[in-house]
Amino acid sequence: MAARDNHGVGSPWKDGFKVIGRALPKEDGLAKATGQAIYADDIQLPGMLHAKILRSPHAHARIVSIDTSRALALEGVHAVITGESMPIRYGVIPWTPDENALAVDKVRFIGDEVAAVAAVDEDTANEALRLIEVEYEPLHAYLDPREALERSEPQIHEGKKAGNVSKHVGLDFGPVDENLEKAEVRVEGDYVFHGSTHAPIEPHCAVAQHAADGLLTVWSSTQITHYVHRALARVLELPESRIRVIQPCLGGAFGGKSDPFALEFCVAKLAMITGRPVKMLWTREEVFYAHRGRHPMQMHYVTGADRDGRVQAVDAKILIDGGSYSSFGLVTTYYSGQLLTGPYDFPAYRFDSTRVFTNKPPCGPKRGHGSVQPRFAFEVQFDQLAEKVGVDPIEIRRRNFQGDYTETVNGQRITSNGFLACLDQVEEASDWKKRRGKLPRGRGLGVAGSMYISGTNYAVYPNKMPQAGVQLKVDRSGMVMVFTGGNDIGQGSNSVVRYIVAEELGLRPEDVRVKAADTDLCPVDLGAYSSRVTFMVGNATIDACRKLRKKITQAVAQEWEIPQARVFMGLGEVFDLEDREKLISTREAFHLAEEHHDTLGSTGSYNTPTLGGDYRGGTIGASPAYSFTAHVVEATVDEETGRITVENCWIAHDCGRALNPMLVAGQMEGSAYMGLAEALLEDHRVNRFGLHAGPSLLDYRLPTAVDTPELHALIVESLDPEGPYGAKEAGEGPLHPSIPAISNAVFDAVGIRLTELPFTPGKVLKALEEQKAEKQASPGNPSEQPIGEKA
Amino acid sequence: MRVLHLCVNGDRLEVAAPPHWTLLEVLRYKLGLTGSKQGCDKGDCGACTVLVDGKPVLACLTLAALSEGREITTIEGLMPAHRQAGGEGADPVQEAFDRCGALQCGFCQPGMMLSARALLNDNPTPSPAEIKHALSGNLCRCTGYTQIVQAVELCVAESTSKKPRSPAWAPGVNPWSRAEPASGGQD
Amino acid sequence: MLRLPKFEMAEPDTLDEAVSLLAKHGDRAMPIAGGTDLVPNMKHELFTPELVVSLAGIAELHGIEQAGDGSLILGAMTPLDELARDERVLRGAPALAQAASLVAGPQLRRMGTLGGNVMLDTRCQWYNQTHFWRQSLGYCLKKDGTECHVVAGGRKCVAAASNDSAPALMSLGATLSFQGPDGTREVPIDDLWKSDGIYNKKVSGEILTHARIPAPGPGHRGAYGKLRDRGSIDFPLLGVAVRLDLGSDDVVTDADLVVVALQARPVRVRKVAETFRGLEIQGPAFREALDEVCTLASKQCRPLANIPGDHEYRHAMVPVYTRRTFLAACEQGGPVHHV
Repeated sequence: MAARDNHGVGSPWKDGFKVIGRALPKEDGLAKATGQAIYADDIQLPGMLHAKILRSPHAHARIVSIDTSRALALEGVHAVITGESMPIRYGVIPWTPDENALAVDKVRFIGDEVAAVAAVDEDTANEALRLIEVEYEPLHAYLDPREALERSEPQIHEGKKAGNVSKHVGLDFGPVDENLEKAEVRVEGDYVFHGSTHAPIEPHCAVAQHAADGLLTVWSSTQITHYVHRALARVLELPESRIRVIQPCLGGAFGGKSDPFALEFCVAKLAMITGRPVKMLWTREEVFYAHRGRHPMQMHYVTGADRDGRVQAVDAKILIDGGSYSSFGLVTTYYSGQLLTGPYDFPAYRFDSTRVFTNKPPCGPKRGHGSVQPRFAFEVQFDQLAEKVGVDPIEIRRRNFQGDYTETVNGQRITSNGFLACLDQVEEASDWKKRRGKLPRGRGLGVAGSMYISGTNYAVYPNKMPQAGVQLKVDRSGMVMVFTGGNDIGQGSNSVVRYIVAEELGLRPEDVRVKAADTDLCPVDLGAYSSRVTFMVGNATIDACRKLRKKITQAVAQEWEIPQARVFMGLGEVFDLEDREKLISTREAFHLAEEHHDTLGSTGSYNTPTLGGDYRGGTIGASPAYSFTAHVVEATVDEETGRITVENCWIAHDCGRALNPMLVAGQMEGSAYMGLAEALLEDHRVNRFGLHAGPSLLDYRLPTAVDTPELHALIVESLDPEGPYGAKEAGEGPLHPSIPAISNAVFDAVGIRLTELPFTPGKVLKALEEQKAEKQASPGNPSEQPIGEKA
Repeated sequence: MRVLHLCVNGDRLEVAAPPHWTLLEVLRYKLGLTGSKQGCDKGDCGACTVLVDGKPVLACLTLAALSEGREITTIEGLMPAHRQAGGEGADPVQEAFDRCGALQCGFCQPGMMLSARALLNDNPTPSPAEIKHALSGNLCRCTGYTQIVQAVELCVAESTSKKPRSPAWAPGVNPWSRAEPASGGQD
Repeated sequence: MLRLPKFEMAEPDTLDEAVSLLAKHGDRAMPIAGGTDLVPNMKHELFTPELVVSLAGIAELHGIEQAGDGSLILGAMTPLDELARDERVLRGAPALAQAASLVAGPQLRRMGTLGGNVMLDTRCQWYNQTHFWRQSLGYCLKKDGTECHVVAGGRKCVAAASNDSAPALMSLGATLSFQGPDGTREVPIDDLWKSDGIYNKKVSGEILTHARIPAPGPGHRGAYGKLRDRGSIDFPLLGVAVRLDLGSDDVVTDADLVVVALQARPVRVRKVAETFRGLEIQGPAFREALDEVCTLASKQCRPLANIPGDHEYRHAMVPVYTRRTFLAACEQGGPVHHV
C-alpha cells in the first residue's frame, strides 16, 4: 500500500524532488506568528460556562461521602458532578481501564479529581469548589516503589491479582547466563532515573457544546483525537456518531496530552447537563498533577563482553514507578526492555521489568517513551565497558553495530540503519579524535547512541483497519484540501502533508491546505504518539495522491492523445515529458479531469506490515522502521561548584530522509534540549507528604535560552524502504543519547561516573570527594588499567 | 467594575473590568486578543509578554487597572503597525520566526517575538549572547531555542545586509533565503 | 487560569494620600509597587487584601538622584532594570547594580522595583504554593498553620529572605526612608530586619520612599555573587554582596560581606573588616585573609531547608561564592554568576 519509490515514474528533477527536502516555512507558521492561530483556550462560545475541578488533598484515601448541595445552591453555579455521574472506567490502553473521570470510592494521589463545577465564571466555580464537602478516610500512602512492590495491603487498585504490581514483563532471548559466564569482561551496575514531565507551555484545556439535536462537540488540547472520541463514547454512553472531537491548534504536548483526561469528560458531561457550552482550562499546577511523564526507574544492568568489547549478553532488572494509574504503563513496561536491542547486536538479552503503582501523579509516555531510561543506563554502562577493555567509546559502538536489514535478538525487523554515519558525523564535528581524553581536566567529550521506533505495529485497540487515513478534495480553483486525522502538535505534521501533496500533484505548497484532527471531517488517524505521524500519515498521503494523480494524468493523456506515462505534474503545471512546450496549468488539468471523471477526490491509507517477534508481547516495540542517533556532548565541570555546563551538543540523526531539513533539525534540537534539561535541571517528584514538590514553572526548572547549549543538528539520510520517500522519525529518537552522553562527557572531564539522575552539582561534588578519597587510599589502583588493547 | 481606558495596538478602547482582573485576562477574555498566551499563571514563563510603552512586561502580573493610559502592543499589533509603516507582509520578526522554523507549537512565541521586537528596537545589532539574554524570560519547550536565536540573527543580518550564520544542518549556505533556490532540474 | 482574589483598587497621586489610605484600612490594605511578588502571592492566597494601593502614580517615589555630597538617592519605585543600567549606580554602587541585574528575568526586572525587592516577602518551599497545595499540607507556621515543616517541630518561622538587593544595600551602608502616619523616618538598613520569617521587617504601615547610599570613597570596590539553578528567572539559592574600601596602594581600609537566602534575614558575616584591614589586595596576606573570611562565612552562614534546593550544597557554596565575589570586587569585575 505504501509508496516505496522516490517520486514515481519519470521524475524530471535531478534530485527527484521539487518540494520535498527543502527548508520551506510551515503551513501554520504565519498564523502562529501573528497571533491568529486558535488554541483551545482561545475559543469563546456564546453563553459559555466555566468549569473547575475539586481535587483530593490526600495521597490515598477512601471517599466516605460527598455533599455538593451547598455548592449547587450558590448563585451562578449551573451544575456539579461527582464520580457517580460518570462511573464507567476508561484507560488509553483498553486492557487496563482503571481511571474514572472523577473519583469513585477512592482517591489515589494528591490532585486526583473528585468533583467538578460549572458556573458563570471561574471565580464563582472556584467559590463553589470550597462549598463541596468531602469526607475522606485516609489510607496508607505509597511513595516508595520498593515498598509498593513488597507490600500488598492496602492495594492502590483493589482487585488486582498481584498486590500493587501494575505490570510485569520478563523476556529472554538467547543464552544469557551462559554468555555472561563465558564473558571475558563483565560490567555490572545500578542506575537511577528520576521523574520528569512534559511541561508544554500550553496548559490542558477543553471546551464542549451539546447541541439540541444531541450532537456533542468537544474541542480539546489533545494529541489523540481518535482515542478521546472513543473514550467519550464509552464513558458518556453515547454512540460515537453523536460525538465530534476537534483538536484546535496545540501548544505543545510531548506525550503529555496523549491520554483521555478528566477535563474532556467533565466539560462534555457538564455541557450535556446544562445545555450550555462549557470550558475548562487547567492551571499550571493541575498540569503537573495530570503528569503522565517519564517513569522513574531503578535499573540494574550486567553486560558481558569479549576482551575486544564485543557484547555477548545483557541482563537487566528494572523497577518502574508508575504512579497512581496505568495510563500507557503496559506498553512502558515492555518498552523498557524491548527497545534496547539496537543499534548494537546483542547475541543474548534478558530483561525483567516490573511497574508498580504508587500514590503519586500517574506516569505515562514522555518523548522517548519507556526507552530513555534504559538507554541512559546502558549507554553509561557501555562507556564503562569501553574503559575497562581500553577501547575508544566511539570505536566500541562501531564494533558492536548490528548492521542494516537485519533482525534484532528479540525478533524486530531492522531496515535502513544509518548509525555508523551518525557516529562518523559526530566524531568529525566534535573533533573527537584530537580532543577526547586529551582535553584539560574539567572539560570532556562523551558519546552515546540510540534507536527509536517510527510508529508502532501495536495499535492501541485491536483492529485490522488502517492506522492512518487521508482524504483529498480537489477544488476548481486549483487548490487541494487535505483532510487528515493526524494530530499536528507543533512538530509540523500538517506541513509535511502539505509538502507531500504539493510534490505529488505538482502544486505550489501554498495551494495545498490541510484540515486535521476533526473527527467529523477527517479520516481516522490514531494520533501523535510513538513517532508515527510523518511516517504513517505521510505514507497515506502519498497513497491518496497517487490515486488522484492517476485520474488526472489519464484525463490529460486522453485529451492530448499521448500515453499516460508521458504526462507529468510539476509545480503548478502539467506537461508532456517528451514535449515540454505542451503544458497546461494544474488548475486546467483539474478541470479536465473533473470533466472526464466526476467530482475529484481520493482517499489513501497506511497500515504496518505484519511485524514483531513470535512470542507474547513480540509486537510491542515492533516498528516498520527504526531511527538511529548518536550524540557527542562537550561539557565542562566546575570542580569547586560541581556545576556541569554543556557547551556543545552534536546531534547526528538518521531520519531516513529529511522531508524538510529545517523541521527535522527543529525536532532534533528540541529533543536534545529536552534530554539535557531532564539530565541537569528538571526533577518531577513528591515530597515526604506525597505533595508535588513544586508544581510550578518556577520550581520545575525548564532551561531558558541562556541555559541551553549550542545544539548542532547533523542530518543523516539512510532512505528507508518503508517510509514516505524514505523518511523515518525525528521527534523522539534524538532525545535519548543526550543524557548518557553528558554522563560520559563528565567522566572524560573529571573521571567520575554519574549513574543517578538528575546530575545536580551536589551529586557531582560528592562524587569528586569520593574520587579524591579513593585516590588517597590507593594511589596506583590497578583497576584503572584497561585489560584489553590500548585505546 | 471600573471602566478602563486602554490604548491597545493603537486603538483607544474603553473596557469594563473588575479591579482583580489582570491585563492578560482583559486582553484575552474582554477584548478577544487571544494572541497573548497564558502558560504558568504567575509570571514564570513569559508567554503573556506584551509591550507596555514599548517595553516587554508580563501581562499576567500586571493589574489591568494599572495599565490605564499606557500604550499596549500585543502580537496582533505587530503586522498592522508594520503595514502602516509601509511594510509588506508581517513584521520582519514574525517573518523571520516563520522562515527559520522557530514556530513549532507556537504557544510561547507571541511573547518571545515581542521580546525580540523590543530588543531589536533598542539594539538593532545584538550579538547572539545578547539575544539569548534578552529572551531569557521567555520559556520555549519545543525548539531548544536554536531556531529562535537564528530567527533573530536573521533579522539582524538582513537589516544590515550581511549573510547570516549557517545552521549546522546546512553548512555554508543560507537556507532561509527568500530567493528561490537554484533549480535542480530541467526547468 | 489561577485567579486573583477580589479586591478594590486605589491609585493615589501623593504619598500622603497613600499613607493615609494604608493607615485607614490597616491590615486590610496593602501597597503594590511592581506587583511581581505581590500578584503571585495574592494568586496563592498568601495575601488577600481588600484594598490594594498602587504606588505607581506617586511622582516622588520615582527616579535616581545624586546628591551634592555624592550620595545616591534611589526612589523606591525605580525599576530594577533601570538600577542595573544606571551609570551612577554602576560607578558608585556596583554591588547593587549587579544584584539588580540578576533579579529574576528581563520582564520582571522591568516591572519589579527597588522598593518592592527590599520589602520582598520571605520565601519557603512550604509557603510559596497555591491554596490547594497548602491546604493539602495542612498549612504551615507562616500562613494559616501551626507547624513549621523546615525544622521538625520548629516553633519559629525560618522562611528565607530572598531579595538580591538587600545584601547589596547592607554592604553599602544604605539608609532607608519610610513615610508613615507619624511622618518620615530614616532607618539604617541593618536595623530593618528581624529574624522572623513570618515578617522579617521592623516597619509596618509605612511606605518605603527611597534608599540613600553614602558617597563611595575613591577606592570603593563592590560585587555581587548569585547562586541559582538557571541563568535567569530564579530567586537566589544564595546571594553574596561584598565591599572593599581601598586606601592608597590598594590597601584595605574597610570591608563587608552580607549573605542572603539563608534564613529569615540577610546575614552580615562578622570580623570580615578586621581580617582584611591593612592588607594590600594583590599580596599573599590578602589571599590568606580571604581563606579566613571564607571560613568565617561558612561558619556563620547556615542555610536551612527552607527554599527549594539542597541546603547542604548551598552551605558548601558559601565559601566558594564568598571567595569568587571578593576576587571579582578586587578586579572591579562581577557579578559572579554562572552564565
